[in-house]
Amino acid sequence: MNRLLIVLIFALFNGLSDAGAETTLEKLDKNGTLVIGTRTGSPPFGYVNKKNEWVGFSIDLVEKAILPAVSKKLNKNIILEKKESAPATRIPLLQSNAVDLIAETMTDTQARREQVDFSLTFFVTGAQFLVKKGTPIKGIESIAGKRVAAQQGSTNARIIRERVPSAKLVEFPDQPAAFQALIQGQVQAYANDGIQLAGLKARAPKPDAWAVVGDFFSYEPYGMAMRKNESDFRHVVNVGLMDAIASGLYFEIYNKWFGPKAEIPYPLTTESKRFLQMQVVPK
Amino acid sequence: MSYELDWSVLWSGQSGGWLLQGFLTTLEISTLGWVLAAALGALCGALRTVPLTILRCLAAGYVEFFRNVPLLVWMFFWYFGVSPLLPQVAREWLFDHGAEFWAAVFALGVYHGARFSEVIRAGIQSIPKTQLEAALSTGLTIAQAYRLIILPIAVRLIIPPATNETLNLIKNSSVALTIGVAELTFQTRQIETYTAKAFEALAAGTIIYLTLCLTIALLMARIEKRVAIPGMIGQGSAP
Repeated sequence: MNRLLIVLIFALFNGLSDAGAETTLEKLDKNGTLVIGTRTGSPPFGYVNKKNEWVGFSIDLVEKAILPAVSKKLNKNIILEKKESAPATRIPLLQSNAVDLIAETMTDTQARREQVDFSLTFFVTGAQFLVKKGTPIKGIESIAGKRVAAQQGSTNARIIRERVPSAKLVEFPDQPAAFQALIQGQVQAYANDGIQLAGLKARAPKPDAWAVVGDFFSYEPYGMAMRKNESDFRHVVNVGLMDAIASGLYFEIYNKWFGPKAEIPYPLTTESKRFLQMQVVPK
Repeated sequence: MSYELDWSVLWSGQSGGWLLQGFLTTLEISTLGWVLAAALGALCGALRTVPLTILRCLAAGYVEFFRNVPLLVWMFFWYFGVSPLLPQVAREWLFDHGAEFWAAVFALGVYHGARFSEVIRAGIQSIPKTQLEAALSTGLTIAQAYRLIILPIAVRLIIPPATNETLNLIKNSSVALTIGVAELTFQTRQIETYTAKAFEALAAGTIIYLTLCLTIALLMARIEKRVAIPGMIGQGSAP
């Protein structure tokens, strides 16, 4: 909460006042750093691992694919700096110039596109439910009247509220609290993006006691967000992602985080792979 | 890069309804939490001035334990820590009837009760012993002296710090969102989710908190002035 207020106040005094200031690329050129907003508790996209290192799939993509593209464009070595962002703070963080790029688990939506611009889609998932193995909940069709946890500020919560108003929705600000509520029975299911639930299940003390159930009841294309109307910067970010997909680097990084040997195996479907490749436009 | 303010998000769609709901929930947990806090505070504040060591120690233990642990921890404690201790049937019933709401009320009430207790103790102890002696010398019994002289003065003395505590309690109720209570701050975030308009939503929340707290502060200032005892030092300084 405090962080959110600081961001808000910072933004009001900074972001609102300096209309027509420098572009993102000019800022990067001047400072020599690309500041990204990412998560500390959303494995494997952005989290602090057991060795106390701040790593993740989204962070790797920025470091290995986008940063080189930015460095090449500006013809100088750009350094990466990470700041923590959360659903409630990420847009204000961008708009206040505190960060230049949001690289975490942000779903690209039309409403958000009125505030920020998004890169290509770099990951595709959809909402599902995490339940105790053996419970009768099989998907969104069976949650009426049930107590369901969701992440505050997420698109999933919104869909449940609209499609199953009778479900008793409890929204938690972070995953650990929601999962704890599921363990203790305060809620009977936890709705989140399938990949996040797979991550949670994999790291649970007894992964076999939990099941990720249901068809995707939402479409969650993850994109990297940046300030609106910065097409030059957006292009550089997209070139970095496109080059990585075309060269196969993207799939190497994907395998590192989601491959069979990864902590959270989440094999890329043929469909998703094709979709990623079709986003790459010719040079 | 400039941000385009669009205040219409606050009254278009469901935003207005959400803000109202959030405001009412904030009022509910704050009121119930306050009643609990005032009761616990009065009890323990009084206990800390009685001549029985064991009661004094018990009250002091409660105060020091509860006020020195962050409220956020208490929220989690009442929500996650207490429910496993309940029998299965009670637990299921509670989970179906707003467990997070009651956990928030208890967290707020018990935490602020410890702080209220200090306010009340300070009020009682700030009255000079001679006041009691003077009362007794007019022929009143001890109970009468407390009821007619000491307590009426103490209650007047603690109006400013108790107002302070009350306002703190209201603002602290926003911590309840961590356990999923849909109070005012929660709803402002909800509006942000739907509209991606963070500044407008937070500004609306801020104004509602400010209005609520200012109203209470002004009301308490009026009461303070109204009940002031003529001739007492420092009275009448309230606006």
